Amino acid sequence: MQEQLPYLIAGCVVALLSAFGVVLSKQPVHGAVALLVHSLALAGLYLLLAAEFVAIGQVIIYSGAIVVLFLFVVLLLPQGGREGAPGSARVLAAALGGAGMFAALAFAIVGTRLPASGPAPAGGIQAIGHALFGSELVPFELTTLPMLLAIVGAVTIWRRQEQGGA
Amino acid sequence: MFATFACTPEALVLLTSALLFALGAAGLLLRRNPMAMLMSIELMLNAGNLVLVLAARANNFVGAQAGALIVLVLGAAEAVIGLALALALFRRRSLTDADEPQEVSG
Repeated sequence: MQEQLPYLIAGCVVALLSAFGVVLSKQPVHGAVALLVHSLALAGLYLLLAAEFVAIGQVIIYSGAIVVLFLFVVLLLPQGGREGAPGSARVLAAALGGAGMFAALAFAIVGTRLPASGPAPAGGIQAIGHALFGSELVPFELTTLPMLLAIVGAVTIWRRQEQGGA
Repeated sequence: MFATFACTPEALVLLTSALLFALGAAGLLLRRNPMAMLMSIELMLNAGNLVLVLAARANNFVGAQAGALIVLVLGAAEAVIGLALALALFRRRSLTDADEPQEVSG
């Protein structure tokens, strides 16, 4: 995996810069485009980490569906959903919260002993299929419940506000 | 010690995902627009997914990749509900600030 290090560094830098773009952009359109770049960079990282199927899923589900959904909602917002500058208390809270979260995670990471990766695992999509319908069958099937809840919930929220706003 | 630690590919990806998660948390606290808050939550979900994929690679355990796919699906469901709520908030009261609503009613 050592020979992939330059590509990994490039992917990590792009992912971090676009994440800054998501957090700091004043307009939601710019944030959504930065989120698109971010998800594509992560898909590249997944490819480098020998997770082809997750990379394809990231591009199709994330870049293709979620980011486009965000863009559609931005189109429907008044004035593009622009927001005012955050107050200094909010900036302080965000800086403290982010720094504290990173300190806790870095503390946990330094304590880990992650084994050095060997050769890339063989099997690819077939192995994932075996895992999804074998050892991970119960969590996989349980995702249908949140999906159904999301569909019904979104329709309910919409109908309710259409009736109330009429 | 830190330099040698950061130069293994695994440590680099781990550190990146920790930074991404912290950035998402900071963004969630910083922004008031519900859309931007949702995007920050998506950043945190992605950071968690990156750790899962890295663990699948390092431990040669493909079940973690399946877990990452499940997180991806749950993230999509979360985005649908969150965006529907944000849109209802915008349309009904033309609010772009998550702090302003003081009451919840049908």
